[in-house]
Amino acid sequence: MRKALGLYTAVLLASLYVPIAVLVAFSFNASKHGVTWTGFTLGWYGELARDGQVLNELKNTVVIAAASTVLATVLGTLAALAARSHFRGKRLYATLVSLPVMIPDIVLACALYAMFDAVRMSPSLTNAVLGHTTFNLAYVAVVVSARLQGMDRSVELAAQDLGASPWEAFWKVTLPAILPGILAGAVLAFTLSLDDFVVTYFTTGPGDATLPVRIYSMVRFGVTPKMNAVSTLILAVSLALIMLSLRISRVPVAGGGR
Amino acid sequence: MKARFVALLVPPTLWLAIFLVVPAAIVSANAFTAEGLRHLASPVTWTLFARSFSIALVATTVCLAASYPAAYFIAGCAPRWRNLLLFLVVLPFWTNLLVRVYALKVVLPEAFQNSTGAVVFGLVHSFLPFMILPLYASIEKLPRRLLEASQDLGASPWMSFWKVTVPLTAPGIGAGCILVFIPAFGIFALPEFLGGAQAWMLGNQIELYFKKQQGSTAAGSALTLLLLGCTVALTGVYYRLRKTEGLV
Repeated sequence: MRKALGLYTAVLLASLYVPIAVLVAFSFNASKHGVTWTGFTLGWYGELARDGQVLNELKNTVVIAAASTVLATVLGTLAALAARSHFRGKRLYATLVSLPVMIPDIVLACALYAMFDAVRMSPSLTNAVLGHTTFNLAYVAVVVSARLQGMDRSVELAAQDLGASPWEAFWKVTLPAILPGILAGAVLAFTLSLDDFVVTYFTTGPGDATLPVRIYSMVRFGVTPKMNAVSTLILAVSLALIMLSLRISRVPVAGGGR
Repeated sequence: MKARFVALLVPPTLWLAIFLVVPAAIVSANAFTAEGLRHLASPVTWTLFARSFSIALVATTVCLAASYPAAYFIAGCAPRWRNLLLFLVVLPFWTNLLVRVYALKVVLPEAFQNSTGAVVFGLVHSFLPFMILPLYASIEKLPRRLLEASQDLGASPWMSFWKVTVPLTAPGIGAGCILVFIPAFGIFALPEFLGGAQAWMLGNQIELYFKKQQGSTAAGSALTLLLLGCTVALTGVYYRLRKTEGLV
């Protein structure tokens, strides 16, 4: 019985990875029409490197991700720190902060679209940054919160007993202890932002597409080697960021942590 | 202390008020105009609602059936293996959804594409981690001695699975179903890639109204509000199941 379950689990996991592996392999396939292998090539990547439009989209993707990560990391950390105190309306506050994680991205995207439309802010990269910050803030708050819960609060109090001002205690004790959480939150925010398609699509105009938006518009034309190459690049970047995030969140910390 | 607390609380709250609460209010205001209400009452909307609901429901059910054996297996592994398997389950989730759906388009036979079945398959494939993780969490907490007790008292393995394991892991089942259903219900790029006209869902229609200017902000807002309402209701159920107050 256990063997059968193990085999089943292996097949299920394989089904998650096989399509991605095939896609990556085909991005190095010399054949123009996917299904047969005719030899190894880096040609599709070369074509990408010469494609000014793709480079511009890459720039837009990174600019939105970087700007929204900085904003969301600061705001999300503040949100998590505030959630440590007990206050009236905390339930409502906690729900508000976690809402962007729960609602389908299309709801946030359309709500932002309707608002920007109402205040006559025409679609732009700025609008996308504002939108990305909104969902990223929530994810950073969740990650930093988890870190704060694992932290021993008495260390902070001890610092204050020993004569540190609340500000000093925060700066010298709390912040270093939760820093891995903050960094992990930032990397997560950056990854989510790179991956986002829906919010970007609804907040930007035709001139400022990002790589995921480009994928969306290219898929209509079917499966092409160049698409495979763009997708593989996006996968590689996401993977690198996840590894980085895992690294960071495993850093051992004095005074609590995992 | 008071001033510090205010300094922590105000900036994120203000941000969410401006970029989440106000937009939601504007969507509601748009939806409750004459035109918005006309779209809310229109049969087209409710046909799409019913189709999206049933596609999401079928996908959630298939996802549950596909995930339970795997979650059960992972929960019974030694810690080393367990962590590796969980990591493998979660990893694809951090990669771009569009890229994963596109990858399905590369490997799925063309005859199967452009069908409701392909959309369900794509949804199950995309949201599997959301189901496996909460299932795993509740199966792992299951006291094994209860299973032994039920078998000592004469239950067959099959019977003790249905009468002990399933009821005790109900919170995980509920949470997993909601976590899959919500994004599946509001999905929009995926049906366009894998489905045909017969798999057109609410999300596609919203895109049509907003982005392709074949309709109006009022119509799009009405549908968005419908999605938001369903999400809020289901989220409420989710928190009740988990007995928590949000994620922070």
